Amino acid sequence: MQSTEKTKKPIYHGWYVCAAAVFIGFAAVGARNSFGVFVVPMSEEFGWSRFTISVAAALGVLVNGVSQPFMGRIFDHTGGRKLMLFSLLVVGCATAMLALTFHILYLAFMFGIVVSMAQAGSANTNTSALLSRWFKRRRATAISINSATISLGGMVMVPFSMYLLQATTWRIAWIGLGMIVLSALPLAYLFLHERPEQRGLYPDGDPAPSKDIPNGRGRPATGPLEAERWQDSFRTAPIWQMAGSYFVCGTTTFVLSVHFIPFAIEDRGISGSSAAFIFGYMMFLNIFGALGAGLLSDKLGGTKNWLALAYFMRGIAYIVLLTVDSVAGLWIFASIAGFSWVATPVLTSSLTADVYGLKALGTISGITFMFHQFGGFGSVLLAGLLFDITGSYTLPFALVGALLFPAAISAFSIKERKYSIRYQTPISTAAAAGD
Amino acid sequence: MAAFLSFILAHQGDAADPELIHWIKERLDQLFGLGPWAVVVVMGLIIVSTPLFVVVVYLLQAKRRSAAEASPDQEG
Repeated sequence: MQSTEKTKKPIYHGWYVCAAAVFIGFAAVGARNSFGVFVVPMSEEFGWSRFTISVAAALGVLVNGVSQPFMGRIFDHTGGRKLMLFSLLVVGCATAMLALTFHILYLAFMFGIVVSMAQAGSANTNTSALLSRWFKRRRATAISINSATISLGGMVMVPFSMYLLQATTWRIAWIGLGMIVLSALPLAYLFLHERPEQRGLYPDGDPAPSKDIPNGRGRPATGPLEAERWQDSFRTAPIWQMAGSYFVCGTTTFVLSVHFIPFAIEDRGISGSSAAFIFGYMMFLNIFGALGAGLLSDKLGGTKNWLALAYFMRGIAYIVLLTVDSVAGLWIFASIAGFSWVATPVLTSSLTADVYGLKALGTISGITFMFHQFGGFGSVLLAGLLFDITGSYTLPFALVGALLFPAAISAFSIKERKYSIRYQTPISTAAAAGD
Repeated sequence: MAAFLSFILAHQGDAADPELIHWIKERLDQLFGLGPWAVVVVMGLIIVSTPLFVVVVYLLQAKRRSAAEASPDQEG
């Protein structure tokens, strides 16, 4: 009887935190990604041009990217719980208030500034930082679940918005989306707690550390680069190695998000629906790529090796995309690239936490993510410009694709064994084998 | 500049590509074969029931949690 009781342990509270983070990402990112669905009905009602309404969207992308480090700083100082609850409340109310749009300036302010800035508070960088406090051995796994379902959220919420719009009006559809975001509030209120210690727990739900074991779990482990302040990280190599490769990640994903379907239609001569199908297949593989990266990193260790492999794989995918001039080339590209797409954010977030610790993690993650966004912006501009000059996507794709190999080297050269907390104490024997 | 801004508009996120959205909607239309209201209700219920499911699991685990709190072992 006693053994039966012992095997039926309750689910570790960290998994509820993970579930709450997942739903927050699902609702908040999904609602924001649905903006494109509202373009036609709103433009028709107000007589706006594509360019006019694009200003609000572009402002939103910029504000969201630049806000990340500041929201990370608030996360580090006031805590994730307060920030995310407030952020969700603002995103939900402001999304619903888009129903009151009467002028382009109102839309630009409400969506481009209020929604986009507030959404940075509950963004993946902050939820990943929160999960890093709750998980140590299974950190990458928890972050990967969080990241994978954000992709899924976009895939579900955007079609949902389309149907909602079809069934009602754009004003009611905005209110509906706002309500869905607000429905994440009770879950966040119930489960988002700052640290396991607050609930008398230890990371991963592990038993209380034994004080008898010398140099073991009984002593709190800190890495040599544990950052008390975010500025400390700037004087070390790993932040630049990760930010540099993350910049390349942004350039190579944004450029394809924007140009893959036009490239497949114009350069490879396939139909729009086939191109969309291949792109959808690649996005679907994201989920498995993210989950696989997290699991492999936690089970086998060597996070930087998996990160380097993800960049290398994406580089190979780009070579296939440019050299195999057929539909098969597009499918091979999608199969290889799909697995690496969301794997890199998962591994970068996990490695950042392992190297720099948790005290300034929100700000440091926000800064690296800003590099990612800047890379994305630059690549979209460059690709558009080069397409106009050369009439082809070959040159821009080759340029950004070539960056993936230095990015792989940059990730591979991170001295994880020296700096990561995983290698300072015997957290997991398996993890130590991977470097 | 206008072209660049339009690109951003069309690609708020990976899943929001207009071609992809159109394709997903076509597949859902084929799958459900229902009107927009029915799809909204079904999808809305699935979305909203997700947090409820998590809360129900948490409540169902209350007994195990109190047993674990009484014993020296941690949650697993």
